[in-house]
This record gives sequence, structure tokens and C-alpha cells, in this order.
Amino acid sequence: MAVHGARRSARAPKLDPQATGDLFTPAPPPAPAPAAATPAPTVAARHAPLPARLPIPRQLWLALRFTTLALLAAAPRRAATAPRVIVEGEGARRLVCAGNEAARRAGIHVGLKLAAAHALVPALEVLERAPVEEARELGRLAQWAMSLSPFVSLEPPDQLLLEVQGSLRLFDGAAALLRRATVELEAQGHAPALALAPTPRAATWFARALPGTAIESPATLAGRLGRLPLEALGWPARALEDCARLGLGTLGELKRLPRDGLARRFEAPLLAELDEAYGLKPAPRRRYLVPERFRERMELPAELTGTPELTPYCEHLLGELGTFLRVRNAGVARLAFLFAHREGKPSCVLVGRALPAADVAEWRGLLRERLMRVLLPAPVLALTLRTGAAVPLSGASAALPGFGHAATDTQALALLDRLRARLGEGAVSGLSLVPEHRPEAAWRAVRPASLLPPEDPGRAAAALPAAARPLWLLATPEPLTVRNGRPRHGGALKLESGPERIESGWWDGADVLRDYYVAVTAGGARLWIFKARGARDWFLHGVFG
Amino acid sequence: MTAPLDALLQRAAIWRARGALPASAALAPGSSVQSGWPRLDACLPDGGWPLGTLIELLLPEAGVGELRLLLPALRALGTSTGGRRWLAWIAPPHLPYPPALAQGGIHAERLLLIATRHTAERLWAAEQALRSGSCTAVLLWLDTADDRWLRRLKFAAEAGGALAVLFRPLGREAHASPATLRLALEPTPAGLDLRVFKSRGRGPQRVHDALSS
Repeated sequence: MAVHGARRSARAPKLDPQATGDLFTPAPPPAPAPAAATPAPTVAARHAPLPARLPIPRQLWLALRFTTLALLAAAPRRAATAPRVIVEGEGARRLVCAGNEAARRAGIHVGLKLAAAHALVPALEVLERAPVEEARELGRLAQWAMSLSPFVSLEPPDQLLLEVQGSLRLFDGAAALLRRATVELEAQGHAPALALAPTPRAATWFARALPGTAIESPATLAGRLGRLPLEALGWPARALEDCARLGLGTLGELKRLPRDGLARRFEAPLLAELDEAYGLKPAPRRRYLVPERFRERMELPAELTGTPELTPYCEHLLGELGTFLRVRNAGVARLAFLFAHREGKPSCVLVGRALPAADVAEWRGLLRERLMRVLLPAPVLALTLRTGAAVPLSGASAALPGFGHAATDTQALALLDRLRARLGEGAVSGLSLVPEHRPEAAWRAVRPASLLPPEDPGRAAAALPAAARPLWLLATPEPLTVRNGRPRHGGALKLESGPERIESGWWDGADVLRDYYVAVTAGGARLWIFKARGARDWFLHGVFG
Repeated sequence: MTAPLDALLQRAAIWRARGALPASAALAPGSSVQSGWPRLDACLPDGGWPLGTLIELLLPEAGVGELRLLLPALRALGTSTGGRRWLAWIAPPHLPYPPALAQGGIHAERLLLIATRHTAERLWAAEQALRSGSCTAVLLWLDTADDRWLRRLKFAAEAGGALAVLFRPLGREAHASPATLRLALEPTPAGLDLRVFKSRGRGPQRVHDALSS
């Protein structure tokens, strides 16, 4: 019995009630099975969760077909009013696989031989199909589609599938969602054909044959599918010829034929497609996973020399980066713009932030500052935007209005970013104490990073010298004139206190052996001066300010 | 046990009312900070350095006591903002020496030293720092600047609410300036004299030996 049940469950979508029940009731402790029967229960357990009796959440699939994808990929940013076609294939079997509006009006259709197309339009512009660019553009569109649904699946060559049941409420229903998708895609220069259906397979078919179809209820799916012409299925030509020979025109007519007859005539994968479309068989889709680094290249319409002309193109790429980051809730800390020239190595412009960030507006401002200082050696043909790894943004929450430090850290870092972008990376530095006796080594320039409290303020304070130190330190000690053995600065100096002997650093070759004094000038300024022990020269090292 | 919880709280989708405590003496334009020198405070209209406006100090040379003069106010501002803001120094004549700053109670870690190549960059950096609202104080050293730029700095200071101090050579006294408060520092053998020659609602005054309490 156990063996029999297992076989059935593995093949057919139905299970006997007992087997389903076992899934939900807490299982009784499994009886120690005889050794010979062991494999059977394992098979049953593995296949049991599949069947349709389990409450599968209702799904709604949006298929997006990009009718001009091949055209756009082969000739980006070069719209034409004259007839233009994209061809694929070799030699005599070069077939038209896409054409623009003018070509269509001239009577050229998909599948036509190139020679025939030339006969129709002698001045036809013919472009080779660019599958790599098509795949890249489809991937880019998939990233855009993630703004509509978290589940996006690629359906090469020219479709995307989105599971949108969960998005309907957010976008105010199916009609509004379709409208939004259409508008946003048209703004990107695409001519989309959309269809909604409860199964992914049906959605792709409707997008191909009857764009604009929106079927939300599974109850009406079978009826609408039945009226689809068989060309919509995208089956191989031989299978379609078979159907024509049988006098079949629509999917409904095909579906009415006895199943075993169909099984003899058509290959199993094609029948599986039928079952998937009608929702009789689950049709899992692979979720599109986005790459974690952004890299986008853009060809320019002409060679550009000046950074002001380049700025809009850079900002276009930044906009795409913004979409890329938003769907991941991630940020990047560094961007590299590569400007490709006709010859030689591309010029690179780096823009950095103190912390990974995703806000495009701020990136745009930084880029403008940065580009202002860039001098390009040659005209630019193309540009590439590259980023480091996108990291998830940490949860910096804003405070309640009127309370706390409202986003001070963010502002503080934004200030750093702006200053660095305009003045250069090295122009902004911070200072840090170093526990060290030599005055010139008791500090260090650091790269200011955050406003977090210092790690150990107590330790730094403990290392402070007991004697007074000047607020201004000269970068290099300045020799003082000496008259009658007394140092002068403007006039004679009066020694106020000292000496403080500093003797240190013998281990690293930069040892000092000095006596420091506080001296007052005739004008009243207080100076920090020293005399190297055993020498006669005096030096000014700091001003008390 | 808390590690997964911490990881969860790091996610940006979770909003926490962080710092939902009354703001501790936030910087606000129109307020002031005590200079820490009682004789000077008595002469200033608001009883201290005004915040969110431009203050101009005219010096005969660097090191006459201008930092000592400001140190108590900088320290007080650092404490009242919880050390969460920068202290910007734009084109100072020498290095502000961290051990001396620490002795004066100022965290060197909060300092931003901004090096510039020319006056236009100094003014731009000062405007950015003042406007950002992320600095407790912005100290700017300048030789010349036209009136329009100083006015922009004043507006920026009003937007950010920081202590904005402009250091210029003593000869600039006769030039008109949009600064709200203008002081000349005059070192004497006895100490540092301050000459307040422009302040809101008061005539010229002189503070003898300001840095002794």
C-alpha cells in the first residue's frame, strides 16, 4: 500500500486523502519499518508536499514583452524614420527578426527572408542582431521591474514575468499597475506589450498574441485561453504545421482533443506547457537575482570634449545606479566614471563618500563638483559607471521631530563628502593625539570619518604633558636671530618660564635633545622657543595664541 | 542571544526612535554662548558670542591670544552638542596643536582642518561648513574678501547656527563689513586688550586685559 501511494503521488497531482491528512496531523511515532520496505516511505515523504490540495497562495503574473528590444539593442539611441530591420541567421537563411514601424508599413514582417525584404524596400537599412546587448538590456529591465514586484523572472529573449498578486494593493489595482508599467517603460524608450494572467505561461502567451489582456480570476482563465490562436504559443514550426493539418486554429480546439492522442503527436514538453498554462501543473519560475556590483556602459551619440556636455550622460547613469541601489536597500561608497577615448587608456574620475549611500541627488552634487576640476585629455566616445560592492545600508533612524540629534551624523558626513569632492581628498584632515614626548610627533593627521565618540578619551588625556603647550605649532621650527646670546623675535625676548627638557626618540634616529622656554615678545605675544642642548642656535616652535 | 536581534535592528527598514530625549542645548540662531571671559561678556550685547551670525576678529599677527580668547566658548559648545559636530578650521596660519587643544578641553578628533588653494575655495568651504549645520564653530582665516561674499557667509551662518569667526589682519578695520560683531585684538605688555568697534546696539568699547579673570 505504501509503495502504491508513493507512485501515485509522484506522478499525478492528486493524492489520496489519507496521505494528505498525514501532512497536517502530528505524525504518530514512525513504526520501525522492516528493512525491505524502507525506501518507499522516503519517496512518499519527498513528493508529498507538491500536490494541489495544499493551499497554494493565489498568484497573478504580469508578462512584459518588449517588442522593440532587438531594435534598441542593435542600434541604441539611433532612432530612424527610414525602414530598418534586424536580421539573424547565415547565408540564404538570413531572416528578418525585427523591424521598425517604417519597415512594417512597407510590408516587411518578422520571418521574411532578407532577400525578399530587399525586394520590397531596396534602400533597407539592415542591422545584425545583438543577442548580448539584448540580454543585458533585459537584465536592466528586470532590475527596473523590481520596483513593481519582488519576484521577477527572465523569459528570454524578450519577456519578463512578474508575480504581482502581492503588489496590487500597493499600486491601486491591476489597471493602475499596468498603466504605471506602460508609462515608465515608454519613458525608457520601449514599446511594451503587457498581459496579466493567473499562470505565468498563460501570461506570456497573452503578451505575445493579445497584449493588454488582464485576467485576474482563475475561473475565467480557461475560457479566455481557449480563444487564443495557436501562433501565440511560440511552438516550433513543425508542431504548428501539425496543428494546421488537423484543422486546429485555437488553443481551445487543441485542448478538446483526447489527451493520449495529443501525447502521441506532440512532444512531452509542449504538453507540459499546456498544463502549466491552464494551471494544472505548477510552473515554478527562477527568480532573477541582481548582481551586487553596478557596472553600466553608455555609448555617446557624438564625441564630446567638455565636462559640461558629459554631465547629463553621467547623471543618466547615476539615475540607473539609484534604481539599482533602491531595490537592494543598499549603498555604495565609491563610484568610478571611466571615460573612453579613441586612443589610449580611459580617463577615470573617482567620487567617494565617507559612508555607503544611495541618495542619487547627493551623488549628483558631488559629481558636479568633481567634474568641474577634471580636464579630459581627449574627446570621449563612451562612458562607464562602475561601483564597488553594494553594502546593505545600516539602520540609521531619524529621531522624532523636535527630539534628539536630528540626523547630525548624516549631515556631518555629507559635509565631508562635499568638501572632499571639491577640494580634493587630501584637503580635509582631522587631528589626533599621539602619546609621545617629542612635540612634533605628539599629533597625527587622520582621515576624519565619523562623529562617534573617541574610543578611549581617558588614555589620550593621561598622555598629555604636564607643562603648557602652545595652541599653534609651526610646521618646521624657525631659527631665531641671536644677539649677545639672547634670542630675538622682532625685539629681544624675555624668558618667562623654562627650561623644560625634552629628550627622546634615540631609537628611531630622529632623536631630540632640547630645552624649551616660554618667551614673551615686546608686543606681548607668548612664544614657545627651544635651544638644542650643546648648540647656540635658538628656534621658534610654537605660539601660545 | 542578542546578536540576531542586533542584526535585525541594523536594518534600515526598522525605525527606532533613537535619541528620543530632549535636545541638549541645540544650536539655534539668535542664541549666544558665554565667552568665558567675564569682562568681555559684560560688553557683548547678548552676554556672550552671538551664534548664527558673523563675528570678525582683527589681528595684528597670528598668535596674539585669539585662540585663548575663543577656547572657553569652543569647549562649551563642544560639550553642549555632545561632541557630535565638527569644529572647522579653514586655512589656519599654523597647525592647531592637539596636545594644547586637549589641555584646553577640546577633542582634537572633532577638528576638521580644511586646506585650500585660494580665497574662493576658502569662502566656498566656509559657506558649506556654516550652512551644513554639522559644525559647532567655523573658524576662517582670510586676507581679503569682497563684501558680497561676506554677506553670503553671514546668511550661511544664520542657516546653520554655528559660531562663525572670521580672522582678518588689523588693517581691514576701515573697510565696511557685514559682520554683526567686530573686534580688534591689541596685545599690550600687560595683557590682551579688545576693542569692540561694532556691535548690535552699543557704541565702541574697550576691554582692558580681557584674558585675565
